[in-house]
Amino acid sequence: MARSDLLQGSLDLLILKTLDGESLHGWAISKRILLLSKDVLEVNQGSLYPALYRMRDRGLIASRPGVSDEGRRVKVYHLTAKGRKALERERQSWRRFSGAVEAILAS
Amino acid sequence: MGWLDEVRRSVASRLRRNDEVELDEEIRHHIELETEEYVRRGLSRGEARRRAIAAFGRVEDVKDDVRDVRPAARLLGDAAHDARVALRSLRNQPGFVLAVLLTLGIGIAGNVAMFGVLEVSVFRSLPYPDADRLVLGRVTYEGEIGRTISGPDFFDYRDGNSTLAGFSAITPFEVQATVSGGELPERILAPMVSTGFFSTLGVDIRVGRGFLPEEGEPGGGDVVILSHGYWQRRYAGDPGVVGSSIVIDGTPYAIVGVVQPGFRLITDADAWRPIRRGEGWAEARQFHNFIAVGRLAPGVDIHAARADLDILSARLAAAYPDSNEDKGIALTPLGEALSEGYRSQLMVLGAAVALLLLVACANVAGLLVVRGAARRAEMAIRSVMGAGSGRLARQLLTENGLLALGSVAVGIALAVWLQRGVLALLRIDGVSPAQAGLSPVALAVALGLGGLTTILFGAAPALRVARSEPAFDLRSGRRSSRGRATGRLQSAMVVLQVTLTTVLLIASGLLLRSFDRVSRVDPGFDTDALLTAEVTLPAGDYADVARRSVFYEELETRVAALPGVIDVGLVNRLPVRDGGGNVRVALPERWGEGGVFERIAYQRMVLPGYFEALGIPLLAGRDVSTTDERGGSTVMIISASLAEDLFTDSDPIGRTLGIDVGTDEPWLAEVIGVVGDVVPASLVEGAEHAMYFAYPQRSPASMRLAVRTVVDPAGVVQGIRDILLDLDRNVPLAGVAMMEDVLAASVADRRSLMTTLLAFSAVAVLLAAVGVYGLMAYQVSRRFHEIGVRMALGATVSSVARNVVRRGLLLAAMGVVIAVPISLLAGRLIRRMLFSVGAADPVTYAGVALFFLAVTACACVFPARRAARIDPVDAFRAE
Repeated sequence: MARSDLLQGSLDLLILKTLDGESLHGWAISKRILLLSKDVLEVNQGSLYPALYRMRDRGLIASRPGVSDEGRRVKVYHLTAKGRKALERERQSWRRFSGAVEAILAS
Repeated sequence: MGWLDEVRRSVASRLRRNDEVELDEEIRHHIELETEEYVRRGLSRGEARRRAIAAFGRVEDVKDDVRDVRPAARLLGDAAHDARVALRSLRNQPGFVLAVLLTLGIGIAGNVAMFGVLEVSVFRSLPYPDADRLVLGRVTYEGEIGRTISGPDFFDYRDGNSTLAGFSAITPFEVQATVSGGELPERILAPMVSTGFFSTLGVDIRVGRGFLPEEGEPGGGDVVILSHGYWQRRYAGDPGVVGSSIVIDGTPYAIVGVVQPGFRLITDADAWRPIRRGEGWAEARQFHNFIAVGRLAPGVDIHAARADLDILSARLAAAYPDSNEDKGIALTPLGEALSEGYRSQLMVLGAAVALLLLVACANVAGLLVVRGAARRAEMAIRSVMGAGSGRLARQLLTENGLLALGSVAVGIALAVWLQRGVLALLRIDGVSPAQAGLSPVALAVALGLGGLTTILFGAAPALRVARSEPAFDLRSGRRSSRGRATGRLQSAMVVLQVTLTTVLLIASGLLLRSFDRVSRVDPGFDTDALLTAEVTLPAGDYADVARRSVFYEELETRVAALPGVIDVGLVNRLPVRDGGGNVRVALPERWGEGGVFERIAYQRMVLPGYFEALGIPLLAGRDVSTTDERGGSTVMIISASLAEDLFTDSDPIGRTLGIDVGTDEPWLAEVIGVVGDVVPASLVEGAEHAMYFAYPQRSPASMRLAVRTVVDPAGVVQGIRDILLDLDRNVPLAGVAMMEDVLAASVADRRSLMTTLLAFSAVAVLLAAVGVYGLMAYQVSRRFHEIGVRMALGATVSSVARNVVRRGLLLAAMGVVIAVPISLLAGRLIRRMLFSVGAADPVTYAGVALFFLAVTACACVFPARRAARIDPVDAFRAE
């Protein structure tokens, strides 16, 4: 199955969505995106970590020390209140965007 | 400041020092999990790991990307990284680090210490309210600033001016007085001041009142104001003493007030007495006994006040041409005037520490250039590994920054100590060494110097690295052209050090020779084992001057009989120790004509035997004798130079001279003897004209004892005290000092400046010698191969060694030559501190040059020996 690169700018939205409701560490975030996209969207690792740090600096997500499934000490990320609002905003703007694209393709 | 808070918060959130570590950890974890995933899919562990790493991409790139999205973090991350690398690299070279820290640390310490000294002296704020409005008034003769003004002139300036809110006067020298009436008589310092003195300065009168204006007029009554310290000491701070009386010099004075603690101006004081118009020291316009201090009236600047007083001076000159022609008064801001005495010394020392710091920088720069050369391969490898040249230069700058910070720390640690030393040496009036300390400003200066030195010593080597071409550097060995450039840069640094050090050395040399000359000045008398002391009769009790003669003759006889005493002389002012008291003397028939018929001479009153006791030769005629009494014909003894000047070749004995005593007619005295010249006031001024009178004919209350001793002077002092107690228990012995100590103290300022400068020079010489050594050692190692070849071709061991020494000497000679014009300029700065040595003294210049070349030669010995021991075989093998 062919995998797609993420569209520029959509990575933030996907990370926000992935972290909505659960805390995950970096590797798990990339795996979750791959899983939820049914193996279509592969997150480039080179983009993931810069994105995580950037979002953390902007206060959209926060990190805390946690424990992975294997019992290792890892850094886990979760959404902040600001991030939750951003998710809502991004989701709507994405819907508008993709709806518009759909409309054009359907015409 | 909302945006500021924003910035602060965002910086704070980014300042998580563990971010880098966390990121490493996170990435490692990621790769492990990825590896596990591949293993689960059936790959071998090794292959799985390889794939995981490949999938991740270049770890460093990812990290860089993370840093890129976070600029602040990137900077900090790099800085932290740079600092870690720098520390690691410095740890490997403790010797180098120690050398740099000490070198720069001393350089910085010297400058910070001098800054601190300036802060507590020149830049101090005076402890008087609105002190910047205070001015000091001193006499001028034909525009040249002198020191003291006369009492009558003072009163005329005070009453005639319209620009000063207060104008007062004080005797600026030690005025001693005897307080009697207690257990033992006591010597105190009791300067005379005009009645407005305390109000002009804004001094708080703690108990009682200040002087009233009428107390400065004739018949104003004997009143005194006590210092807080004396009030505590003598009266235990009892406020009830105000209104009571204290006996000073035999006269009862009413205590009217006590001033605030710690107050002092120009001279220490236990008590102040009012100057009365036209009386005593304020009697005549010829007697210059006071320094004036004024307060500018509101809205008046110093220029207006000067113009105002100049008009008064002109009026005085017109009214009293005899005394006031060409005389004026100079107003100087008080703070400026008080720091005049040592400002030039401090400037010289300031310039010296600045030079020292430059030498230190050049020295460290030299070290860094060599170190940079040795590390070129390391830098090249790191460059190939992907570190940008900017990054490498920054890496070096970080190292230098750390070195500078360390040096600042060393400098600060040394500075306080050094500052205390300099203050103790210079003994600035009113500043104690205990005031040494680092103000925030001084700390800022230290940090600033650290930054400056980083740029000075670190920039050149760092730039060279930034320009480096790694491929070239990796390929080329010791013999690259780049090595030659390194050598050139390092040579330049050495020449610079030699130049700066030579300038310092020449200045020190000039001062050293001046000091030597001063020390060799013949005072004209035998200073060996000569005990000196001061005895003052209470004027009230000894108003009958005949009693004074009796007292002093008795004292002389009894002191001479003390065990261990060889000889005793009595005079009112001792050479070098006391000074002062010079008047006009002229041929009476030519009185008032001036020119060659008139001289200024120190006048002294002596008891018989004074010349013999001091070892002043009697060249002609006779000594004064007990038969030269008051009322008889006045006799005098003159110094050889005065005899020669006034009588040229004719015999002075039996001739008459006129002496200025402030009246229209001179006072006449017959010359009965000629004695050798002495230095009456200061060694620097040298021998001066002097004339001596028989004590009974002119009888000051205060005399000096000069006692030649063979045994422990302390026993003799006790003996004299006992005799005085027996003669009159109200007469104390004061100012006990050995003449040798007096002489040493009189040149102490000179000595301390010279010593300090010599110490700085010694450090500079050491640094420069190390610099030369470092350069030659480096060159020998770099030219290892070449020297080997030359030796294989038949060069002798000694020619190789000579060659090394010659190179070193050549550099030193260049430095010395460059230093000559600079030193000639710098010599102007210290010209006023020189004594019978020219600022361009060829002996000093030649001596310093030779000394430095000798030092250089010594510094070259080890590298030369190493060069001479190079085995050609080894040299080829190393290839």
